[in-house]
Amino acid sequence: MSDVIRIALTKGRLEKDTVKLFEELGFDVSAVKDKGRRLILPISDRNIEVVLAKAADVITYVEHGVCDLGVVGKDTIMEHGGKYFELMDLGFGKCKFALAGKKGKDFYKGYGVKTVASKYTNVTRTFFESKGMDVDIVKIEGSVELAPLLGLADGIVDIVETGTTLKENGLEVYEDVAQISARLIANTVSMKLKKERIDELMVLIEEKLED
Amino acid sequence: MKKYDLITPEGTRDLLFDESVARRTAEDKLRKLFEDYGYSEVITPGIEFYDVFTSKSRYFAQESMYKLSDAKGRLMVIRPDSTMPIARLAATRLKDEVYPLKLFYSQNIFRINPKESGRDDEITQSGAEIIGGCPKKADMEVLNLAAEAIKTFETEDFRFEIGDSAFFKLLISKITSDEEETAQIREYIENKNLPELKAALEKYGCSDDVKNLCELPKLFGGEEVFERADSLFKDEKLLDVLRDMKRAYGYLCCLGLKDKVTVDFGLVNKADYYTGLLFRGYMHGFGMPVLSGGRYDALAGDFGFSRPATGFAVNINAVAKALLKNNGEPLTKPSEILVYSEYDERGFIRCRELIKSGIKAENSINESLESAKDFARKKGIRFVEVVDKDGTVEKIDVI
Repeated sequence: MSDVIRIALTKGRLEKDTVKLFEELGFDVSAVKDKGRRLILPISDRNIEVVLAKAADVITYVEHGVCDLGVVGKDTIMEHGGKYFELMDLGFGKCKFALAGKKGKDFYKGYGVKTVASKYTNVTRTFFESKGMDVDIVKIEGSVELAPLLGLADGIVDIVETGTTLKENGLEVYEDVAQISARLIANTVSMKLKKERIDELMVLIEEKLED
Repeated sequence: MKKYDLITPEGTRDLLFDESVARRTAEDKLRKLFEDYGYSEVITPGIEFYDVFTSKSRYFAQESMYKLSDAKGRLMVIRPDSTMPIARLAATRLKDEVYPLKLFYSQNIFRINPKESGRDDEITQSGAEIIGGCPKKADMEVLNLAAEAIKTFETEDFRFEIGDSAFFKLLISKITSDEEETAQIREYIENKNLPELKAALEKYGCSDDVKNLCELPKLFGGEEVFERADSLFKDEKLLDVLRDMKRAYGYLCCLGLKDKVTVDFGLVNKADYYTGLLFRGYMHGFGMPVLSGGRYDALAGDFGFSRPATGFAVNINAVAKALLKNNGEPLTKPSEILVYSEYDERGFIRCRELIKSGIKAENSINESLESAKDFARKKGIRFVEVVDKDGTVEKIDVI
């Protein structure tokens, strides 16, 4: 059999969704499900190796070619950038980036330069650059919702799934920034050297997604 | 207090022993190849004016260049690329040379990479450039040379890939002239980002051109790709380019690369600098192309000297890394003999004799015979030769 395909999965929900997808495709995912503390797991009947990593690291591993493929959210792709092929929208892990702030306030009103808090500073910068708008960006690592509540920021750019956290804290979405879902990415050289195997996998996934 | 006196800047490194040998070996092999094929070496300055690298047809993001200013306050950059200085050279000092010109270089380039990306900021590149001549013939010449370049590394684990930037340029020119849109669509094609590409093209309807543009990133692989392209392309100009590409493919097959060549119609360059045939070389064990090149007819014109041109560069860092990884044997061998003498000139004479006869020998500069033996043992040098006042030699096996 030809070379092993190594695929990096973003730990957590995307990992579970991908494993479920593989299971539905009839892959032997028993080792991945029963992983214990191991980080590299085989799908031996398909000669695939699964690597579990944090979102941004999935991109790093794929970019450097130590993993051939990766499953990562569009949010991480937008924030991290980099050079790889973005092959497929896997359809799961759907949510969105949104600009939010205190309920009832008009974010764009007034002349002052706005302060925006976000964990995703690159996404925020790109978004406001595309509007030709100067903003001060403050990086917040944890609960970004605090920033407008404490008066540090006029608004936040963050991932919104249901909007419950926002609502409970008296915040609301002002504007959608971008839609997010899980993507299949590939190292540019792997895509060329292991084309047949990657194509084969993509066709299987595509057929499944169309169902 | 000094804080940075013990480390090298990010993206740079000290190369030790085998690493240096691997790098130099790769460079030497290419230098020999280029010389054998009638190319002449040029060396361009390490520092150039910023203006050289802000030409219309080749764009460098300014944040990727190391900049400084000269005594007059003019903006300079540390060479981020060798092709543009060579175009400058062709347009100035080489203007009255006999054309076509075949040039090669082997020098370092410097680019600022995003921090903590693990990429080299300093890269040794060896490359060849042809300026002038019959473009079709020059394309074949440069393909052959590039294929030979990869072959010199004596690895079977490589792939050669060809494409043509004209496909994208022809198709996009028919649906939009907006620069931003074009750049965006180009990026989607470059990244084979099919979902976004589809979404971006939706508003242009579903003419043949739009469909073909959508198919470009998928058109890669072996010979079978040509059949698919045949059935897709109707436009005469596209078919012309397709014919050229088939010719290039057939040519590479004739050169004995049949199972190594692939084609990719979605090869487009962000720099928008290539105007025709382009190609890349990949080696197993390195996640980026180790060789890339193509035709760049507009570049010399940016320096006021219109000539067709083509060329390629090999990333020597990458090749050296791949070679070190795939090659189990150490590249540097210890000396065979360590010559020790209490009588200085005797030692040197003996050492010189040995070296002349083809033996790797070195002269001991240790304090005593005991420390010389100890040194030899630690360095893996098998024999110590002790030379007496009258020149007699005693050979001791220390291992």
